[in-house]
Amino acid sequence: MGLGFVVGFIGLLILFHAAYSTIQYRGLLKITEEEFSGPPLNVVIEVTLGLVLCMWAALTVPGKFLSIHPDSEENRIVSLPANLDFMIFNHRYKVFPVELDVKLKH
Amino acid sequence: MVTKTEETQLNRLENQVDNGGGGAWDYVCLVRKLKVRRSEKVLKHGLSILNDPKQRSTLGNEEWTLYEQVAVAAMDCQSLDVAKDCTKVLRKRFPESKRVGRLEAMLLEAKGSWELAEKAYTSLLEDNPLDQTIHKRRVAMAKAQGNISVAIEWLNKYLETFMADHDAWRELAEIYVSLQMYKQAAFCYEELILSQPTVPLYHLAYADVLYTLGGLENLQTAKKYYASAIDLTGGKNTRALFGICLCTSAITQLTKGKNKEDKEGSQLQSLAAKVLEKEYKQRAPDKLPQLTTALKSLTLSS
Repeated sequence: MGLGFVVGFIGLLILFHAAYSTIQYRGLLKITEEEFSGPPLNVVIEVTLGLVLCMWAALTVPGKFLSIHPDSEENRIVSLPANLDFMIFNHRYKVFPVELDVKLKH
Repeated sequence: MVTKTEETQLNRLENQVDNGGGGAWDYVCLVRKLKVRRSEKVLKHGLSILNDPKQRSTLGNEEWTLYEQVAVAAMDCQSLDVAKDCTKVLRKRFPESKRVGRLEAMLLEAKGSWELAEKAYTSLLEDNPLDQTIHKRRVAMAKAQGNISVAIEWLNKYLETFMADHDAWRELAEIYVSLQMYKQAAFCYEELILSQPTVPLYHLAYADVLYTLGGLENLQTAKKYYASAIDLTGGKNTRALFGICLCTSAITQLTKGKNKEDKEGSQLQSLAAKVLEKEYKQRAPDKLPQLTTALKSLTLSS
């Protein structure tokens, strides 16, 4: 996970650097009075690289992904809750022998 | 809804606590969260926590929830002294509480003094006419005394006000099925499917009720719902697979003279039969011959 953080940090730095160089490039264009048709090639490469690194970090840092299939082995519904609001107490457990040390002791 | 992971976790904790390892508090919390009815174990382990003053003091404010849970478990296990003691402790701590009042009325119910419990519930309802749990307890009491018609009437009245309570719809559906009033049970299951469409068990129960009602339209709808149950469980629900085979054979029997949609129905049935045979081969191979004869008789009789 430490590696994920480091990679994410580097990706963010690269993105910020790309943003800064684009701003500088626009300043340069203003001085030479040309139109801003698009960012220079190295900025595009930097942005793509930063994107790849940040995405990789975002996928590895949070940890294991959970399954979302409702019919997968761990997500399938095994039983409904027992409807405890309607629980009744006059069932046949009355005839079971009473356990001896069942008492609240204070 | 209890999923498979939660069930394995619960069983593991139960084994651990039963064999003397720690984790009683975790077990009791998990039972409370999943709303399962394991009253014996909850009583035993909850009391072991409550009788131990050191563990009790580490709980802090959760202690009172544990008292309530142990009281209800004690009532279910007919250890009424324990329940009375727990309720007394709670009453001392919260003298003006309606929740404790409800617990005391439940204790009267567990003892069997129905009229006193009824009086207690009505007085609690006067103070607070919109308390859902008290309405449900009154219905449960009517059911316990055997007045099923009164229980149905009260439950219907409750559902007119609180239409979103799916536990109550489920209870009403089960009562109707026990009285063989299948049309009304089908209505209740429809409400359940509307509110929780991703639970395959409701689809299955609805299809069962429709198949029991019989008649061509009901059988066709039942087949659709068995199919949706298979869809939701990824094809692993054996009961739904059987349901499809039976529905198709019943439909073909009813529509013997009219040669409509022959192909589509039999394709579904043959697919379901194949999946059934594969599953039986994998899990219960000694029952496979019985299965093949039964399936053959189904397709032959149609």
